[in-house]
Amino acid sequence: MAEINEMGLFQEDDHRVAYIFTAAPTTATTASPNTTATATTTTTTTKGARGRPTKRRKLLKKGTGAQQLDDDDDDQDTTREQQLQDGQDGEDGEGCTQWPRLFDGAESVAAAGLRREVYESAWPVLEKEIETVLREANRQTLDDVVGFLNSEVHEHEGKGRVPAGFIITGPNIAGQDLLFGQLGDALRETGEGVRFVRLRAGEVGNLKGGLKRIVREGMNTGEKEGEEGEEQVRVGGRNGRRYLDYDLEALRVFMQQKGKGGRVIVAFQDSEAFDTGLVGELVGLFHSWQDRIQFSVLFGIATSVELFQARLLKSTARQLYGAQFDVVQANAVLESVIMAAVAGTKAQLRIGPGLLRKLVRRQQEQVAGVGAFVSSLKYAYMNHFYANPLSVLLADGQKLDKEILQPEHLEAVRMLESFKSHVEQAVEEGKLDHARMLLENDSYLKVRISRQAAERQRYLGKLLQSLALVTATELSKRSFIGLYEAALEEGIFLDHSPGPFDLGDAIKRSTPEELIGLINRITAVIVDGNPSLHWKGMNSDQDAKTAVNKFEGLRADVERLIEKSKENKTSLQSKYSSQSKVLRTTVVAQKVQLSRDTATLTEEDNAFTEAIDCFFAFFKDLVGCEPLSSLFLHEVWQYDYHLPYEDVFVPRPGGTFARALTRPHDYLGCACCDKANGSAVGTLPATSILYHLYCEAGALINVADLWAAYYALVGEDSEIGMDERSALVHFYRGLAEMRAMGFVKQSKKKADHIAKLKWL
Amino acid sequence: MPPKKATNRKPTIRVPRKRQAPADPYEIPDEDDNEPPKRRRHADPDPENEDEVTKDVVVSTPSASRLKKTVATPIKLNGLNGVDTPSRKNNADRSARRKSARALVDRVISGAISDDEAEEGDIAREIYESSEEEDDEDEEENQNGETEPTTPSKSTPGRKRKTTTTTRARKRSPTPPRDLPAHEQFFYQNKPGLSKTSNNNLSSLQLLTHDEYFSLSRDLASQNHHKTDITHLLSLHTASFPQWTFELSQGFSLCLYGYGSKRHLIHQFATHLTAHPPCQPSQSNKIVIVNGYTPSFTTREFLSCLSTAVNSPTCTSLPPLLSHLTSHPKTTLTILLNSITSPNLRKPSFQSMLSTLAAHPQVYLCCTSDAPDFGLLWDSALSTSFQFLYHDCTTFATFSPSEMEVVDSVHELLGRKTRRVGGKEGVAFVLRSLPENAKSLFRLLVGEVLCADDDGGGAGGGGGGEETSVEYRMVYNRAVEEFICSSEMAFRTLLKEFHDHQIIASHKDALGTELLSLPFRKEELEGILEELTT
Repeated sequence: MAEINEMGLFQEDDHRVAYIFTAAPTTATTASPNTTATATTTTTTTKGARGRPTKRRKLLKKGTGAQQLDDDDDDQDTTREQQLQDGQDGEDGEGCTQWPRLFDGAESVAAAGLRREVYESAWPVLEKEIETVLREANRQTLDDVVGFLNSEVHEHEGKGRVPAGFIITGPNIAGQDLLFGQLGDALRETGEGVRFVRLRAGEVGNLKGGLKRIVREGMNTGEKEGEEGEEQVRVGGRNGRRYLDYDLEALRVFMQQKGKGGRVIVAFQDSEAFDTGLVGELVGLFHSWQDRIQFSVLFGIATSVELFQARLLKSTARQLYGAQFDVVQANAVLESVIMAAVAGTKAQLRIGPGLLRKLVRRQQEQVAGVGAFVSSLKYAYMNHFYANPLSVLLADGQKLDKEILQPEHLEAVRMLESFKSHVEQAVEEGKLDHARMLLENDSYLKVRISRQAAERQRYLGKLLQSLALVTATELSKRSFIGLYEAALEEGIFLDHSPGPFDLGDAIKRSTPEELIGLINRITAVIVDGNPSLHWKGMNSDQDAKTAVNKFEGLRADVERLIEKSKENKTSLQSKYSSQSKVLRTTVVAQKVQLSRDTATLTEEDNAFTEAIDCFFAFFKDLVGCEPLSSLFLHEVWQYDYHLPYEDVFVPRPGGTFARALTRPHDYLGCACCDKANGSAVGTLPATSILYHLYCEAGALINVADLWAAYYALVGEDSEIGMDERSALVHFYRGLAEMRAMGFVKQSKKKADHIAKLKWL
Repeated sequence: MPPKKATNRKPTIRVPRKRQAPADPYEIPDEDDNEPPKRRRHADPDPENEDEVTKDVVVSTPSASRLKKTVATPIKLNGLNGVDTPSRKNNADRSARRKSARALVDRVISGAISDDEAEEGDIAREIYESSEEEDDEDEEENQNGETEPTTPSKSTPGRKRKTTTTTRARKRSPTPPRDLPAHEQFFYQNKPGLSKTSNNNLSSLQLLTHDEYFSLSRDLASQNHHKTDITHLLSLHTASFPQWTFELSQGFSLCLYGYGSKRHLIHQFATHLTAHPPCQPSQSNKIVIVNGYTPSFTTREFLSCLSTAVNSPTCTSLPPLLSHLTSHPKTTLTILLNSITSPNLRKPSFQSMLSTLAAHPQVYLCCTSDAPDFGLLWDSALSTSFQFLYHDCTTFATFSPSEMEVVDSVHELLGRKTRRVGGKEGVAFVLRSLPENAKSLFRLLVGEVLCADDDGGGAGGGGGGEETSVEYRMVYNRAVEEFICSSEMAFRTLLKEFHDHQIIASHKDALGTELLSLPFRKEELEGILEELTT
């Protein structure tokens, strides 16, 4: 067994808590005294196990600009590749290993490099964008808090008390880190001697620990001398006096040395998680030191100030003088992040509606924090560019010269769903030449491919324009996220009713004043665009101008009509307004007759009705787009796969372990356990057999019976025919593993019994 | 089956009636139920239109005819007196029922039914049924009931106990319900009284010792028929090394989970990372492998190793290390952590420290988890700073002895502490911390015990199972002779030290002489002696 053989090689390291790994056997004496016995490379033992090394070697020799692949440890190759790599992609910023080539290694190095380049240009833009959005979201709160702490109010009103800011962060504790980080930065900017200390409940267990931290951080933040906290405590004491590292006196002396006006701001990030007594003690201390060190405290609160106060002692609460600050709630932040980074023009890759819905739902259901969303987004980008060879088509036109497109790319394009449906459609429409050319003529296809970038821009322009206009009407009941998802999935059709975009009725029912407001908003959007989407208004001046002219003409008409009706002292209404239709019941010869009468409309009313119809027609011209999936080659720039995301972010370890143990064949693919099909057979690994027995057992398991059952499966009377002692070794190992995985524990109820811990 | 069911259901229905027992016995049947008797009356060939009063009267009549007057009479008396207690009334009811049952049986046995008797029988049946309080199906059951005239008594306490046992017996079916959802399974299996296991124990089985385990497992390792499959599985995982490297380089941390030891995989990954570091080409990357499974794991050692790796002055706390990294942007650190789920690493303080480390842009973290509950280690704030990507890395590889103390773990699970202090090494360890004369004393003791063992072995022959003891007084005298100690007080002090570490045991024999023994096997003792004398 490989394990056992190699055990001899690095056994010593295995028993060590931590060691510096050095692969090359010659560099044994570097760095640490710990690494006396260094690990030896395992390349020789595992070479055979690696994936297809020979094939790759061949490719390298072709001279296609050899690049190192995943696991090529050959020294000579590596150096040669290194040189080539340096020569080729000097502009590469991040990372240093080349991406593996796709198409089973047939992809050219240039194409792989280009994919990576596209990724590296696409993602950082968004990352910066998201960061701005997040910072913006917190800005208001930050300003308020800084303003409060710096204001003079508490000098007078809260004399002698400790100023306290209560920041209601909501249940999303994942966002607290960013918020308090920003707070620290903002507060340090405001004054010279401001020291900002963040305390987290997990790190501060008791009063001493808390004070140590305050003293150390309070003295560290000033200048970065790279010295340790303890060192500085000693420096702090003059006249050779030394202070204990939890003595606030040390901090006072230190701050005195640094000069005037120093103050310490202590932030309890997750106040609820702190021991109430600890908070009380700390606040009490701050209060009594207030005449020597100016302390302020900040509390991050997930619930409400009332609940928090109820936990504090009254005496503690009396020592605080505070104000409450609210943080923008996670949902609002999420929406602006999505607008900027998913829907906005800066997003190169479209996250498909299915995945987007999943991500948003996870945010709302699991309170995962915006950070998790951003990670998932990043991972989608990584996946797309790393694993989809066609993502190279997203590159700019100049870089994507025709040489880079290999026959494999074209073949892959021809396999796409959207390609197939496009060709089918062409055949149906009788454009047989076009279809034939697409299928057979490579250069024709290349031309079509190169056009898809423009196509994509046009589509995105239309999509964002429609969305911007729809949101500008403020008539839709759905949130932006919902609208965006629906737009990608079903397209935008105002006629479809009921549908997400059935604004027709709402628009038609509007009163003259509402209509004017609507027109104003829409013209504003047409001209200025939507900044949170980075949509800069209608791009072609011509179109924009005609549209604006049309709308302004309408507005003038409506205004004129309003004037007129005012003169006539009638109210202007359209035939769509609710009052215009009257349901009449007439009793004729003892029979009830229902009749719908159109109320008489004045001339102005008719004109207004016309204006509304006109407006709706204009609006319909501007708004509308196809569903994403109907576009040719949309697979190139859309990412809508759930699986990698779920596997990687929402793991199901219980299921994974259970599957591995119930059906080892799924992983091992061995012939012997093939027939088992999820039942216990002797050939399974011992732990797996035990797991099967474990699942059948009750809450309390008799080990003697377990052993008997196990031995019946593998023992001398079975097909396996193991002798008792060997079987016992396996049994021991299996049991120990079960215990390590947390399935069983010792039970004191009966001798030789163990208790079941997991019901999966 | 039907009769059982009936007996189960009966008491539940009867209970309320017992509680609200009225003073007047005449009202009992009336209150019982009006419906069933009436229905039955309709069904009867010879309808009895009389009221309850007549019924009761008739009850006494057949019993009288069967010479059981004595029982029937007290009912009435009690009832009339109005001091009827529920249990008494029940007794009365019961006997009435028993009698009517017998009447029915007799009638069936005799077979002949006179008109008179038929009427009588009907009444008897009615009583039987009214007390039975059952639906239609129980009318049939009535026939069955006739065959079991010895239906157990219905007195309240006994009855109740009986029912509980029957229900339990019924629920404890030989095969537990299959395919229950996990939570249902939990509640099912944790039902009180359900956990019935046999009384077998492992006393007949000789448990493995460390030596046996290791020598056997070395032999067995070569026989593993899944060897090639496991290697293949590993090769599948190694194929994704470039992907993992890419993910690390993008600021994510990795968490590899799944059944099987991942130590080897991590080692290979480290080898891969030395050739293809996740950092930028201009940076240098240091790889530190951390073995979380080591029982002696301390945060201090962990941090000091990290600081050695990045050439910073040794520090035992995190902030200086991070600031060192920030001030040296050319250095990056890759931490490969084995078994993040080990008990030592589960402390929240360690996890939050690790997350702060992982959040640093120059630190890359990849950890493995051997238990499926790793998700519970991190709250949402921690996991945000970790930025974990989880990969299923089921390896099926056996855990090395360094990762898992198999024998100890199993023995602990079984509640047996077979190993004291860790045998030979343990003794050596203890003695190293003791003064010279303590060592000499122990050497003396071991020598004496071995001598005694040889003698005993020669004489008795079969005394191998028991530990050999030496006399306390004798050892003391020898110790004084060899100038190990001068007083008994000093001798006792030395022995106490050994006692504390459980490397000797002392007891008294039947005569009251104090004896000392060493809780080791002979081979072990020889090993210890060898070590002490060299």
